[in-house]
Amino acid sequence: MGIAVVTGAGSGIGAACVARLQAAGDQVAGIDLRPARCDLGLVADVSDASAVEAAIAQIEAELGPIDRLVTAAGYYERVPLLELDESRVARMIAVHVTGTRNVLRAAIARMAPRRAGAICTIGSELALCGDGDAIHYALCKGAIHALTKTLALELAPSGIRINCVAPGPTDTPLMTTEMRDPAYIASLVLQRLVTPQEIAAAVTFALAVEQHNLVGQVISPNAGAVI
Amino acid sequence: MRLEGIAGRVALVTGAGQGIGRAIAERLADEGARVAVNDLDAATAEATASAIGGLAVPFDCSDRAAVHAGFARAAAELGTVELAVANHAFMTMAPFLEETDADWERTLRVNLQGALWVVQAAAAGMVAGGYGRIVCIASEWGLSGWPEAAAYTASKGGIVTLVRSACRDLGPRGIAINAIAPGVTATPQLQVDADAAGITYDEMVGVYAKDHPLGRIGRPEDIAATAAFLLSEPAGALVGQVLSPNGGSLT
Repeated sequence: MGIAVVTGAGSGIGAACVARLQAAGDQVAGIDLRPARCDLGLVADVSDASAVEAAIAQIEAELGPIDRLVTAAGYYERVPLLELDESRVARMIAVHVTGTRNVLRAAIARMAPRRAGAICTIGSELALCGDGDAIHYALCKGAIHALTKTLALELAPSGIRINCVAPGPTDTPLMTTEMRDPAYIASLVLQRLVTPQEIAAAVTFALAVEQHNLVGQVISPNAGAVI
Repeated sequence: MRLEGIAGRVALVTGAGQGIGRAIAERLADEGARVAVNDLDAATAEATASAIGGLAVPFDCSDRAAVHAGFARAAAELGTVELAVANHAFMTMAPFLEETDADWERTLRVNLQGALWVVQAAAAGMVAGGYGRIVCIASEWGLSGWPEAAAYTASKGGIVTLVRSACRDLGPRGIAINAIAPGVTATPQLQVDADAAGITYDEMVGVYAKDHPLGRIGRPEDIAATAAFLLSEPAGALVGQVLSPNGGSLT
């Protein structure tokens, strides 16, 4: 049906997005630190702007104009506030915030002249409620939420829609042992974790062509962790 | 790709004689649901029902007994209602100090209490099967407020909190309840705004469209598409959330 790009395509939420977009008929290119299983798996570190630009250019050359983009690349680590050092914070910001921006810039530069494109960023439930154990992660995700809203307003007149899905505790390799603690899971309204497939369903919903009017929203499938 | 978990299920949509409710009923029928079509106005309920091959179940949503009886009738004729949409609404506009007691009370009775009765009747039928999806239609104005619409915005803000609270009870039972807060949408309700502003319907559409980043207001089908997603099976990790297809007017 179209061409989609997913960053962080190799595992977890990114991989589930690849599968669901493919099931809907898209050809999907993946960008990750290792080649992902998809129609075109490219290796790039999203924090490296020139590598991202080259990957996006290669995708358009090999598959065609990008219709849809999911920015799912990211990682999680718990570090107490007083132990956060410059390198950990800088890396977190480089991958999540600047990395998202790098991918968005490369894709939007190509979508804008065509006046068409749908984008879904991946934020986090932890940016809605805060995360005292990973403040650097939460603040990056909060930045992604705000970036999404700002770009939504800026890009809406150009025919490009952008929204954000903010997953709750999702059963992926990023999950920490603390989040698998039965006591934590019992504290969730649904008393279970979210599946990557449920996140992918929300992402494809936000990207769907029929969602003309969904602009700048943060959608949080989170099993009731944040209401 | 068809949405999973809608085909073959029974849905009930309130206020489906026109506007957003009708669009939702049409969309659910397209997805293969068996749809019970409610409206206060029996004639419009019948019109929607016959257009989509559904069952008309006219009743007054502000009347608790009538709501429960309506759900019971839908269940008896179509099967257990597992997909419910509380969409019905009443709206007037007036400066706060000029809003009549009658309008205030009717708005709260129909919109706020009515939504509660619909959620209650729907959930009562879903508990035994351990599965359900409920969507309440709130309003962007219920989140942002809006001048000369105190009763309406209060009722819609209350619906958001109803959803946030009810989900805590219903979520563990397999019933996901969420809200949609539409932005300005092209429905007959917009005539209320036009009348309050002393302009025509089309002029009102133009005024609102000018303030939208997309340059146009929403269509009932946009809201129906969001409702259909929230009623689908893979949306089950969404509980107590508010989705706002609003063209970027509130982000």
